[in-house]
Amino acid sequence: MESRKLNSVDEFNEYRAKILNSHKGDYPVIYVCGGTPCLAKGSRAVAEAFRKEIEAQGLECRVELSLKITGCQGFCSKGPVVSFGDDIVYMEVKPKHVPEIIEKTVKRGEIIEALGYKDPATGKKAATFDGIPFYSHQKQLILGDLRKLDPFEIDDYIARGGYASLDRAFSMDPDAIIDTIEASGLRGRGGGGFPAGRKWRSCRNIETETRYVLCNGDEGDPGAFMDRSIMEGNPHAVIEGMIIGARAVGAHKGYAYIRDEYPLAVEAMKKAVVDATALGILGKNILGSGFDFEVKITRGGGAFVCGESSALMRSVEGKVGEPRAKYIRSVEKGLYEQPTVLNNVETWANVPLIINNGVQWYRQTGTDGSPGTKVFSLAGKVENTGLVEVPMGITIRELVEDIGGGVLGGKRFKAVQTGGPSGGCIPQSKMDLPIDFDSLTDAGSMMGSGGIIVMDEETCMVDVAKYFISFLVEESCGKCAPCRDGLPRMLRILTDITEGKGKEGDIEVLEELCDVLSYGALCGLGTSAPNPVLSTIRYFRDEYEAHIRDKRCPGHVCKSFITYRIDADACTGCTLCAKQCPQKCISGEKKQTHVIDQDKCIKCNVCREVCKFDAVRVE
Amino acid sequence: MENIKIVIDGKEVEAIRDQSVLDVARENGIYIPALCYHPEVEASGGSCRVCLVEAHQNGRMRLVTSCNYPAREGLEIKTDTDLVRRIRKGVVELLLSRVPDSDVIRELATRDGIEDTRFFKDEGDNYRYKCIACSLCTLVCEEVVGVSAISMLNRGYEKEPGTPYHKASQACIGCGACAYACPTQAIAMTDEGALRKIWGREFSMVSCSVCGKPYIPEAQVDWIVKTTGKERSFFDKCPDHR
Amino acid sequence: MAVDTKKVDEIIAGYEKSEESLLAILQDFQREFNYVPEEGMEKLSELFGVPASKIYAMGTFYKALSLEPTGRHTCKVCTGTACHLKGASNVVDVIGRQLKIRPGETTKDMRFTLQTVNCVGACALAPVVVVDDKDYYEGASPQNILKNLKNYK
Repeated sequence: MESRKLNSVDEFNEYRAKILNSHKGDYPVIYVCGGTPCLAKGSRAVAEAFRKEIEAQGLECRVELSLKITGCQGFCSKGPVVSFGDDIVYMEVKPKHVPEIIEKTVKRGEIIEALGYKDPATGKKAATFDGIPFYSHQKQLILGDLRKLDPFEIDDYIARGGYASLDRAFSMDPDAIIDTIEASGLRGRGGGGFPAGRKWRSCRNIETETRYVLCNGDEGDPGAFMDRSIMEGNPHAVIEGMIIGARAVGAHKGYAYIRDEYPLAVEAMKKAVVDATALGILGKNILGSGFDFEVKITRGGGAFVCGESSALMRSVEGKVGEPRAKYIRSVEKGLYEQPTVLNNVETWANVPLIINNGVQWYRQTGTDGSPGTKVFSLAGKVENTGLVEVPMGITIRELVEDIGGGVLGGKRFKAVQTGGPSGGCIPQSKMDLPIDFDSLTDAGSMMGSGGIIVMDEETCMVDVAKYFISFLVEESCGKCAPCRDGLPRMLRILTDITEGKGKEGDIEVLEELCDVLSYGALCGLGTSAPNPVLSTIRYFRDEYEAHIRDKRCPGHVCKSFITYRIDADACTGCTLCAKQCPQKCISGEKKQTHVIDQDKCIKCNVCREVCKFDAVRVE
Repeated sequence: MENIKIVIDGKEVEAIRDQSVLDVARENGIYIPALCYHPEVEASGGSCRVCLVEAHQNGRMRLVTSCNYPAREGLEIKTDTDLVRRIRKGVVELLLSRVPDSDVIRELATRDGIEDTRFFKDEGDNYRYKCIACSLCTLVCEEVVGVSAISMLNRGYEKEPGTPYHKASQACIGCGACAYACPTQAIAMTDEGALRKIWGREFSMVSCSVCGKPYIPEAQVDWIVKTTGKERSFFDKCPDHR
Repeated sequence: MAVDTKKVDEIIAGYEKSEESLLAILQDFQREFNYVPEEGMEKLSELFGVPASKIYAMGTFYKALSLEPTGRHTCKVCTGTACHLKGASNVVDVIGRQLKIRPGETTKDMRFTLQTVNCVGACALAPVVVVDDKDYYEGASPQNILKNLKNYK
């Protein structure tokens, strides 16, 4: 639609009616997932094939189609995903499938089961959202829109009811908005779970001219991609939430700080701001309400610590992103020393839902202490990798087994890691723990932003601890001594343990260092840094001891303790491993069993990867 | 300014609201070790974590750095509990691993009963002389001197103060305030005759017309004249002979 | 290495003259020149009235910025948790051996810079390799990636 500035809510409603009118009737819409993994798996080519096919036969069959590339549709490991409305969904679609889909599904509404999801247990196929456990066990309040929206089209968002909450928010007293958010029990989705309403109220209560609202899109936890997906797939929902928050606390300027590693999210959010500004939904006198609010997009610089609130604010100001040492809350003195509300992407996206549907509706989902849903990214050694949204309070088991389809390749489950480098590992014995802010913290982990990494029997928990500490060594800003000097010492001890140089007492020294960090470090990065070590010691002490005492790695991961061997019974002598071995240390005649020269082997795993007969064993 | 009372180690003491707890302690003769804090430098503190104390407030206890923790009515501070000693000992041992040759750190270590660090030391290629990367020098250069010739470079373990590209800085006025402020005397500054060397740059010094002693870099005189409008002739004599 | 000063001016002119724009300008330098040139920082310091030491500190702090020229192509191996579990360190080793560089280094012919990155948020592709921030490769077989790298000249 032609964009012009809308000067009142009435004009906005007229504009929306026009968009809806232009969508004549009930024509089929093909939704091709445009999330990063699906794009990487070729969804652009699939979309292109649809476009061509429609063009080629469009007039003849008189099928009106609108083809959309949407944000993430969730089921990343089975991409490219193509869906039709709320019912039909196909996986691993290739351009060659397009003619059949057009013929059967688009023209005749038939379901092609063969393109659906194959249940690994029963072998049965299903091609509807209701029929696929990955989807049917979810409750999608935030993500539902992602599969139907073109994130680069503001009209699409408005047509689906977007920005409708502004009418209500502008007619409400700012305090009433805060009351609503407070009553809804919305807690910050960025990790800490701080009540959003309380944060807003503290900010509003400070007498000053200038206040800011910020959106934390610096999703740095490895294995977390919820916020990326929301920004890429539904940027306007985030902006709508920010407008309401700004109106509630009395801010006229906002910033969205987006991780540099997310170029598509930056692009989508930038476009959203430009489009919303052109329509008068951002800027001066929004929809004639008399309220001014602008949003600026700041690209991060590649520093995990900038997810910490005071560091993020320094970074927005154009400085080195170090956290502030002073004991002042950012709701009092935040960005440019002014009262500031900082919420993360998902938190902001929840706000319009609450304003639109009310507190009662919102609290129907989730638990008393943690109402609403939570978006998780499910990854690691799990069958179904993807983006999922579930009610708070669902158990880890439900998440991993029902939605995730269990451990990849039927291996034994060992643990889930939540909360990224600030979180911890939760063992099998806690599988029935409900996922909410408080339960996870009690278990020695934390919600974090929502990355859930599944670990199987072939995961070494000491290696996992080492992995996170080495991540943190790289990401520590270096301002305070415990974090800067303590983490490298912890890493050295963990490295020694995984290399067979561990000694009695190492675990205790690690625990001592953990205490120095959790009590002594300056910011949240440092004080939570011990969690991956402490939680693995707490639940998997036996694995540490196996490394130290028995010089053995139970997960067969640590290279010092493993050897690669070719199983004579399984080897067919195909010579592939010998050809690919970078050390040229595999020998054997064609059609004869091959042998690895242990002196030269660097345990690079290449032979095991290339072997088609699963003949390479790790012991 | 609001006068309040806080309790430190069981003793009620006078304080000004929001005053640094460390300052209050010092005024009352209570010793808390500290390195990176300077009362005249607004942004200083919070880095070395040596001045950790227990802060009891609103029914909560947490470990805080006393240098930048604000005094408020009802605050109770404990400077010498088991927890404080244990965590500070850990911090000092880590600092000792970073700069095993610093006498200041060694002294603190001895005080806390540390003979030697159990962790790997920064030696060889990683030798850091005595710098604990507390950033006080850069803050003095920015806040007090106003030239920002040096800044904290890199991140994490490699954090260190320095000039852009480690080149002789054109912004530096050779005043040496950074070196004087450094808690571990880690900044190399040498005065030989009428020549001062610091941060890889040489400065010629103005000598006192009375005693003949070189006492201030020319660049510093230029800077003061330029920023304050003081007469250049004022610097003919050193402070002792003005 | 001489840098096109006209380009430097052009980039700076595209932004509001405020400290807030610094990081974005430095990132644009990085994109334009494959590193942040000293000339660019000096110009920025002069025009914005921000001490050179502060801009330089940013250059050394943010991982997205490089003070040394980097290669024509950046090959980023994701070492996020999911990728780590699925063998990212092997992928780094294999690519590094092939290119004869370590992570953070650039090949002598300036063709590739190899980097590790802490999660690109594409865990379904784990272990994943991203070339030039736009081409995503599933890294399950490092050999396959080596084949693909040949397409970057």
